[in-house]
Amino acid sequence: MTGPKTILVVDDAALVRVYYRSILEEAGFRVEEALNGLEALETLLAGPVDLLVVDVNMPQMDGFTFLRTLRERDGPIAAIPALVTSTESAQTDFAAARAAGANYYLVKPVERGQLVEFARMLCGVCP
Amino acid sequence: MAERPTLTEDEFRRLCEYLYRRTGMVFTEAKRYYVERRVWERMAETGSPSFAGYFAHLRSDTRDEIQQFVNAFTVNETYFYREDYQLKCLTNDLLTERLHERHADDPIRIWSAACSTGEEPYSIAIWLLENWPRVDEYFVEIVGSDIDTRVLELARAGTFGKRALMRLPPELIGKYFDALPAEHWQISPQLRDSVSFTSVNLLDPAQTRAHGQFDVIFCRNVLIYFDDTSRRLAAENLYENLLPGGFICLGHSESMSRISPLFDVRRFADAVVYQRPGITRS
Repeated sequence: MTGPKTILVVDDAALVRVYYRSILEEAGFRVEEALNGLEALETLLAGPVDLLVVDVNMPQMDGFTFLRTLRERDGPIAAIPALVTSTESAQTDFAAARAAGANYYLVKPVERGQLVEFARMLCGVCP
Repeated sequence: MAERPTLTEDEFRRLCEYLYRRTGMVFTEAKRYYVERRVWERMAETGSPSFAGYFAHLRSDTRDEIQQFVNAFTVNETYFYREDYQLKCLTNDLLTERLHERHADDPIRIWSAACSTGEEPYSIAIWLLENWPRVDEYFVEIVGSDIDTRVLELARAGTFGKRALMRLPPELIGKYFDALPAEHWQISPQLRDSVSFTSVNLLDPAQTRAHGQFDVIFCRNVLIYFDDTSRRLAAENLYENLLPGGFICLGHSESMSRISPLFDVRRFADAVVYQRPGITRS
């Protein structure tokens, strides 16, 4: 028997982390948080994570740099699926996110149902 | 042990004048009993043998004595989702208007001035999470401040009793609080991190300006404790703390029009609020 899947939410805005956490926990996931890419790398080394939800604009290490760094590493953590979130004003697109190592890209504001649907799909969880 | 003082008229007047100059709080003869009791408590606490000795200690303000003195007088009773029509106004109108008038990457800054034990800033955070579908689109910064450092410690601890939570639906209590024994609840650590707390005297421009400018300021049921002069000074400071086009929400019985001519009155469907002019509205 396996426990709930773990999702690491990487976003510098505290309120955004609380928002995604409440949505994902309600859907049965376990949630970890990190404020930027550097913190996320530390969290990944501390325990297993099944999915990353990563903001693009963050201080210290932005989402794309974090994903590129992660994908270059050895071992299973390099292959953890990643859902990238960003505002339209960030002028990013799916191609740029994909090139950095994202599996999917969602434009904020992300709807509750949409976040849960993508999380389930990328974690291989049946609703 | 110091003897309980009965202040002479002159002593009482000098003390009140000093406190007014330093804090803007007005103490009159009607509050003499409470003031004397507080003087007695602080004399005992600081080992001052006489009122003269204590007053000298107060004026030297070593160990933050003024703060210690006024802590007992600030009124700290509030509860979650108090006057929630203003929170409705925040998400229905104020933020929408602010978003039109700013750069998309700018943070949204909200200040709960005189936040007491934290119910108001935490309420703002919960309200945004529950009622504003664009909450993940912006970096929202919520600052809670109070002159009373003791209540700020309680705000940071985030433990609340039944009375503070009486207006919150049970599902929100379950979602954002951890239950403690004896009908107490603690705000979740994640939500606690979404609010920063700091000590601010609204009458000291050096202190208010240090916190920069905000999109929306909540300053409810605070100015009623000031006299006309202090009220006007606080309003002028708050004006400087608003971005052009930013809004300030007062308590339901308060009117900025009677305090300062600086602000425009804005009547929205849910609430009347005051705005710093400076943006051309279409």
